[in-house]
Amino acid sequence: MTDITRRTAIGGALAVSAAAAMTRTALAADPVEIDLFFPVPVQGMLANKMKELIDRFNGQQQAVKATAVYTGSYDDTNLKTRAAIKAGKPPGAVIMSANFVREYVINGDVDPFDPIIEKDGKKPLEFFDNFWSALKPNAVIDGKVYGIPYQNSTPLMYYSVDAFKDAGLDPEKPPETWAKWLDAAKKLTKPNGDRWGINFPGTYDYCGWITSALVMQNGGQYYNHDYGGEVYYNAPSSLGALTLIDTLVNKAKVMPPGVSDANACTSAFFAGRLGTMLLSTGSLSFVRDNMKSPYKVAFLPKAVRNAAPIGGASLILPKGNTPERQAAAWTLISWLISPETAGEWSRFTGYFAPRKAAYDLPEMQKFMTDHPDAKIALDQLKFAVPWFDTFNTVAVRKAMEDQVQAIFSGKVAPADAVVAAQKAADELLRPYVEQTALKAIG
Amino acid sequence: MIGSRQARLWVLVAASAAALAWAVPFAWMAVASLRPGVPVDIASLTPAGPFGLGNFAEAWKSGSFPLWYFNTFVMCAGILAVQLVTISMAGYAFARLAFPGRDFVFSLFLLQLLLIPPLLIVPNLATLVSLHLYDTLLGIMAPYFASAFGVFLMRQTFRAIPRDFEEAAMLDGAGVAVLIRHVLLPLARPGLVAFAIVSVTAHWNEFLWPLMAVSSPRNQVLTVGLATFTSGAEAGSAWGVVAAGTFLVAAPLLILFLIFQRRFVSSFVSSGIK
Repeated sequence: MTDITRRTAIGGALAVSAAAAMTRTALAADPVEIDLFFPVPVQGMLANKMKELIDRFNGQQQAVKATAVYTGSYDDTNLKTRAAIKAGKPPGAVIMSANFVREYVINGDVDPFDPIIEKDGKKPLEFFDNFWSALKPNAVIDGKVYGIPYQNSTPLMYYSVDAFKDAGLDPEKPPETWAKWLDAAKKLTKPNGDRWGINFPGTYDYCGWITSALVMQNGGQYYNHDYGGEVYYNAPSSLGALTLIDTLVNKAKVMPPGVSDANACTSAFFAGRLGTMLLSTGSLSFVRDNMKSPYKVAFLPKAVRNAAPIGGASLILPKGNTPERQAAAWTLISWLISPETAGEWSRFTGYFAPRKAAYDLPEMQKFMTDHPDAKIALDQLKFAVPWFDTFNTVAVRKAMEDQVQAIFSGKVAPADAVVAAQKAADELLRPYVEQTALKAIG
Repeated sequence: MIGSRQARLWVLVAASAAALAWAVPFAWMAVASLRPGVPVDIASLTPAGPFGLGNFAEAWKSGSFPLWYFNTFVMCAGILAVQLVTISMAGYAFARLAFPGRDFVFSLFLLQLLLIPPLLIVPNLATLVSLHLYDTLLGIMAPYFASAFGVFLMRQTFRAIPRDFEEAAMLDGAGVAVLIRHVLLPLARPGLVAFAIVSVTAHWNEFLWPLMAVSSPRNQVLTVGLATFTSGAEAGSAWGVVAAGTFLVAAPLLILFLIFQRRFVSSFVSSGIK
């Protein structure tokens, strides 16, 4: 550990001095003070770890004095950032849920990174090639870089080795398709809820994320990745995904009815009462630390194709900062996304590091060898697809989630659900669509 | 005789059921906070063990509890101190003074109760920034200095006091200030105590506004601090630590309530809030 820390410190110091040298204002005598808003989306000592990182950053250079400000959940962070911008007190930088970035662009509440990246003598889009390509659609919007990926995840299938053996399944061969998954789940399920074959969180946000994964595995797009005014809720791929959920819960009865949250899934999994669960790669550290019996992870089962939507957060530049503060924010951001710091954060949290070069570092390669589950999460990235983001993202997302939750409770048929979800979403998107795609020409 | 005894029995049963429903979450919090790790039967109210105080130690070192206690105490006491002055004076004006448009202004006051606070976050923040109160404890307190609910409560309390007391004092030469200070306020004490309880619990437990109004760690209050290590959207939670942290946050209010229980209940009964 000390070895890693020392190496990270040296690498980080180099990154900082390089970044500082590129920042003209860094030569000023007094440090520029900036806030970094950050949410804590995963359980644990993350808030303390973030403070530790920022203290180290402040100790390594004198040009910028950063303060890490904890701002609640992803939604609270969004609310606080908006309110702070409107009140004229924008923070220097924010770690923002990646699927909110598009709305900030639509509302004109963020500045692009392009001018600062160009000042560093790089082309913005080429600079973005440092990150996994699946992260692009949620960060590069209308050809400009508005988000710098910081911590990212995809859903992953976790399965209990003991449950597989008990059900007569081979733990070395996790189900690769929906059909095999359903088949395995039937064998895994015991009566009276003693053990369920499948579960995944159905709470808001998680529900939409997993639903979009199923739709995309079914060959669908789910929403228009390039334009914030369209969703494809009433498409065959969506109908197929919702029918699968209906089958799991109400027909085959291999998944508990009603809405489960992430805690219910992990608690049941730890207790041996759940065979397979779909959960974020961001939960890897938590599961690793708390699962007493052996478990493994695998790619999400596919239907038409493999697909796993991106989740997580990006750094953004809120509107209303002076160029001096923006430059200071960039010094901090450059340090946070340096392969060394990004790798350290990834190992601590369980998120994958968005910066590809982080995985070339020896400590990261050792970590991947020691933790094969993290390796599988990384390998699944080649099937990664962008995260749902539209105009009025949360409300449009909920239009589908409400229907899926109704399916969990057996209250609606999939064919009616997709129609109702599409109708509600179209209503919500109408104001934006009328201002853009349907704006009268000439 | 038997009929009334039966009725009292039913009331007792209903009250016990309500008390039980209220007590279960607290009991669970207490039990869960004593269990190390992430036990399989975390939902159980009567687990077999093992038990320990490790969660409290972990929760305590996860945050700056002494600072959070201090800030929360200053915030609640500051809000209450100013509120007691403003609501007594405004309550007196609406209850006793005759001025044109009094009832209309009073209805406007009551209308304010219908607004949900999150609606006012952005305008309030803008005001704080222009007053240079952004990111200060005073900034968290400022919007609450006037309380429509408190004014309403004090108006009702003052109106329930017979005018004879005031008239007697006025005969002895008391002015308005003396009248409020030495005659009305002592008689209105149950109302003030009832309001104080409502005010302190509301602000002690509030999360959203302190989160918005303050950024620096040195100005953080308990609720926001608690959330730094308890909220987790993408992963499960270590329930024991969460329960221990929540216990630490709730403990001062619980202890105060147990000490002053009898007085609180009598205040609520005589002030008409039940």
